[in-house]
Amino acid sequence: MRLPESLWGVRCVWLRYFDVFRKSLAYYLVTTFAEPFFYLLAFGFGVGGLIGSLRADGQELSYRSFVFSGILGQTALFQGFYEASYGGFVRMYYQRIFQAMAITPITLSEVLWGELIWDASKATLAVVIIASIGVVTGDFPLRAPLVVAPLAFAAALLFAGLGLAVAARARTIDEISYPQYLLVFPMFLFCGVFFPVERLPPVLQWLAWALPLTSVNSLMRTLTLGLPFQPGALPVLAAWLVLLVAYSRRAMFARLVK
Amino acid sequence: MELSPLQVKQLTKRYRREGGAPLEAVSDLSFEVRAGECFGLLGPNGAGKSTAIHCISGFYPPSSGKVFIGGLDVHAEPKRARQILGVCAQEDTLDSDFRVYDQLVRYATFFRVPAAEAKRRASALLERFGIADKAGELVESLSGGMKRRLQVARALISAPSVLVLDEATTGLDPGMRRSLWEIVREERDKGAAILLCTHYMEEAERLCDRVALMDRGRIRALDSPRRLVERHMGSAAVEEELRPGVLWKRAPHLEDVYLKLTGARLHEPEGPA
Repeated sequence: MRLPESLWGVRCVWLRYFDVFRKSLAYYLVTTFAEPFFYLLAFGFGVGGLIGSLRADGQELSYRSFVFSGILGQTALFQGFYEASYGGFVRMYYQRIFQAMAITPITLSEVLWGELIWDASKATLAVVIIASIGVVTGDFPLRAPLVVAPLAFAAALLFAGLGLAVAARARTIDEISYPQYLLVFPMFLFCGVFFPVERLPPVLQWLAWALPLTSVNSLMRTLTLGLPFQPGALPVLAAWLVLLVAYSRRAMFARLVK
Repeated sequence: MELSPLQVKQLTKRYRREGGAPLEAVSDLSFEVRAGECFGLLGPNGAGKSTAIHCISGFYPPSSGKVFIGGLDVHAEPKRARQILGVCAQEDTLDSDFRVYDQLVRYATFFRVPAAEAKRRASALLERFGIADKAGELVESLSGGMKRRLQVARALISAPSVLVLDEATTGLDPGMRRSLWEIVREERDKGAAILLCTHYMEEAERLCDRVALMDRGRIRALDSPRRLVERHMGSAAVEEELRPGVLWKRAPHLEDVYLKLTGARLHEPEGPA
């Protein structure tokens, strides 16, 4: 594999996605930001007003700030997963554009990297903008949008890997609902978006830490709120990232190339 | 003798099947398509044509054998070999996120065609295929026939010297089909090597300099349509029932050879979707 030529191929694919994004900016802004923004309003200001403050990792902080940071991880999860799973399935199965691109001077390997990197890029943009809102409301320090970007990208790439693997394995678009309800929603609810994981019974705590979103949220809170760094978070994140990205590519190759 | 732009050498493709013996979809397929030649690949459903085309475009790895495009092994150097390859796939693979004109320009970037040149070519192609008035439309708003023409136009955007058309005229009305034939002839006369996969024997007979009849993964006959008819049917007239009770005698044509060699059947051999 010649690297510069392959990078050119990945860039071509990425630009195709970016072009679609640019042309339907209003649609993407609504579908990207409406959901996290409403969570922020409902939980940050609504529930946050009821609860006031809480203790997490031995520190006292406002519930609004706590949830605000959790929404960053949730955004990486939803944006990465949905774009790669439903979006990827449509592109692979209905539009067949993976197949159309992969018989030009671009290879299927480059098409799949372009897909994953685009999904992660779009999610990173969303996380950075939400972090900027957090700066305006005074919940995050000024540097927050910048320092969360690399973490958001890694997390979103991981969840895009999950989504693409699901797209590759789903026989019909409806089958994507299984991992959505049995894996994505439980992560959303139990991996520290809305309450500290230490509130859970020990067995569930252990389960929550085995899933990638808990590590993402923990690292997000270290970067945005200065909560203590959990040394276990990085290896868990790295392991899931490598595993899911590698598996999703293998599964998509197995599906398309006989 | 000049090197043929498309060379298929002893191509064999076996599929693994769960809990069964592997299926050999393409067996020892060899042929060349010369510059300025239109070569027809014919055969019933399940004969292995689609598998062969997936291998020829470098998308499926062959079990054995090689495919050379412009002298380059498409499986060893897919990026360079496919620089001169244009493919119109059997399925609709148009990018419905783009409008008609933008779609062509975007596809050209995959072949490193400069933007200004891509735009010039896109306009010219839409004009040539009679869909210039649809340039700003979404793909979804096009009729089936227009989508088909757009997909052939897209295969030409990189000015390929090897052109693969898989069932390109399926779903076109007779008028449109004839105008597409004219375009195929023009491309051939400009020197392109064209591989045409079709179920329409009349089309193959009119367009192809040579045809290969495939059945169950193998080439059963390969020659010019005229010689195939002479060899397998002779010159005796064929009698057929035109309407119930109305018999007429006519000269034999390629379809008679096809039916004789492949045998009319309804059962389709198993294969991957």
